[in-house]
Amino acid sequence: MSEKLTKVQFTNLDKILFPKITITKAQVIEYYIKIAPKMLKFLANRPLVLTRFPDGVDKQGFYEKDAPEGTPSWVKTATLYSETAKRDVHYILCNDLDTLIWLANLAAIEIHIPLSTVDHRDKPDFAFFDVDPEPPARYEDAAEVALLLKEKLDQLGLEPYVKTSGKKGLHVLIPIVREYTFRETRAFVHTVGKQLSKEHAMVVSEFSETKRPGKVFIDYLQNSHGRTMVCPYSVRVAPTATVSTPLDWSEVKKRIKPAEFNILNVTSLWKDPWKDIFENKQKLEVK
Amino acid sequence: MAKKPKPAQPSRRAIWSGSITIGLVNVPVKLYAMIYDRGINFHFLHQTDNQPLKYERVCTKDGKIVPWQEVAKGYEVAKNEYVVFDKEELEAVKPESDKRIRIDKFVDYFSVDPTYFNTTYALMPDKSNDAYSLLLAALQKMGKAGVGRITLRTKEYPVLVHAYKGALVLTTLRYAYDVVDPQAFEELKELKAPEKAELDLAMKIVKDLSGEFDITEYEDTYKQKVEELIAKKLKGEKIVVEKPAEEEVKGLMVALRETLKQLEKK
Repeated sequence: MSEKLTKVQFTNLDKILFPKITITKAQVIEYYIKIAPKMLKFLANRPLVLTRFPDGVDKQGFYEKDAPEGTPSWVKTATLYSETAKRDVHYILCNDLDTLIWLANLAAIEIHIPLSTVDHRDKPDFAFFDVDPEPPARYEDAAEVALLLKEKLDQLGLEPYVKTSGKKGLHVLIPIVREYTFRETRAFVHTVGKQLSKEHAMVVSEFSETKRPGKVFIDYLQNSHGRTMVCPYSVRVAPTATVSTPLDWSEVKKRIKPAEFNILNVTSLWKDPWKDIFENKQKLEVK
Repeated sequence: MAKKPKPAQPSRRAIWSGSITIGLVNVPVKLYAMIYDRGINFHFLHQTDNQPLKYERVCTKDGKIVPWQEVAKGYEVAKNEYVVFDKEELEAVKPESDKRIRIDKFVDYFSVDPTYFNTTYALMPDKSNDAYSLLLAALQKMGKAGVGRITLRTKEYPVLVHAYKGALVLTTLRYAYDVVDPQAFEELKELKAPEKAELDLAMKIVKDLSGEFDITEYEDTYKQKVEELIAKKLKGEKIVVEKPAEEEVKGLMVALRETLKQLEKK
């Protein structure tokens, strides 16, 4: 190639990473290249946690926080103390297209982000409701609870955003001004969850209740320092390569199934329901 | 980039003339070639002096060149065992070219799978404009095609007479014995019906990628590249052999260029 479009040296492009639907690493990389214009803003300046499956999603994979050996010098990292690992970790920061392509070439299928950026680690810029159905509750039940949650937040004068988790649940987020601590966002999300669980028998809001079959758990605990959520537009480690896809609330109303959004079709969605999310930072004071 | 090749041009010489016969009705027509294989053609040359090579028929026993007058036809019945025919014997059983395209029946055009299509010829009216346009209009209106037979040179073909871009055309068909039934493949015996969710997803992908068929979206890039090389060689340029990037890398570069453009706009 005479022109050099990327610093990344591709390797093992024909390796099949999703054997059930025969998706190669080249296709995973192509997906991340195509989705980059929508995705990069969610990655910027957030220390990443990766799940890598170099031999395919049906084989053993691993979590990775530390920049791996052989990380090129142009990849930005941030050295931070990890509470869970009890040591300094060289986290990868993905602030440009090349780094995203490099991650894809590492078969970092899932990319997880914290709810705060590296320069303000204790001040989240999202409040996060993880709406998780416990079987036999299904996606349809999670969608119903997410809509109840939206109604409640609307009443509070807030504008929540929603994405599929890429598995069975939905993620509801409020972009917030950087004024609150995790303790405060956690308390807020927990309070809203408790209120909903009082009003609707299907909803549970306490960790101790999560394994109750047929209920939908609104998880508030992810609003903590060092916790992460799967990044919008990240591919999931699932047989059909589903994608955690930002939705319009109308799509939740229509109960469009999360299984319909995967690596092969998400890049052809022309809508960007989360386009203005960072221009819509909200205060959690209840009006 | 090489310029797009011009579409194939009609030939002035009919390769056959006769009539389409439907019962008692006759439509006199001429048959013209319509399909050309215009890929790149190379000639074999002798490397030491660049002179063209020719083929000779050589006897496998003594290695001597055999003149045409001494050539007979043999049908191999067992290994190295032949039933031999002379010209007259085969001539006698040749199908007669009776100058007719006999239509046996009409079928829905789309009910004939392209698997059977061999090659297509243009049918032009032969002082038969009224009958020709009548048949054409009827087939167009009903979406039907005539199935029948034609003898071209020495071979009889099943044919389809149908409308294509405002003309009658004739497509020769393969005989059933030349086509494998794919169900004969062992692999298909292991197929299971997909689950509904998977099928829904697959159908959504198909729907998202659905469009109008346009054959001009496909280009013979090998032919274009060879023609570029020919132009360079004619100008006396030296050709540097580049190792082409892998197919996958090429696909990624296309996506990359598009994304870089989008990111620039932001």
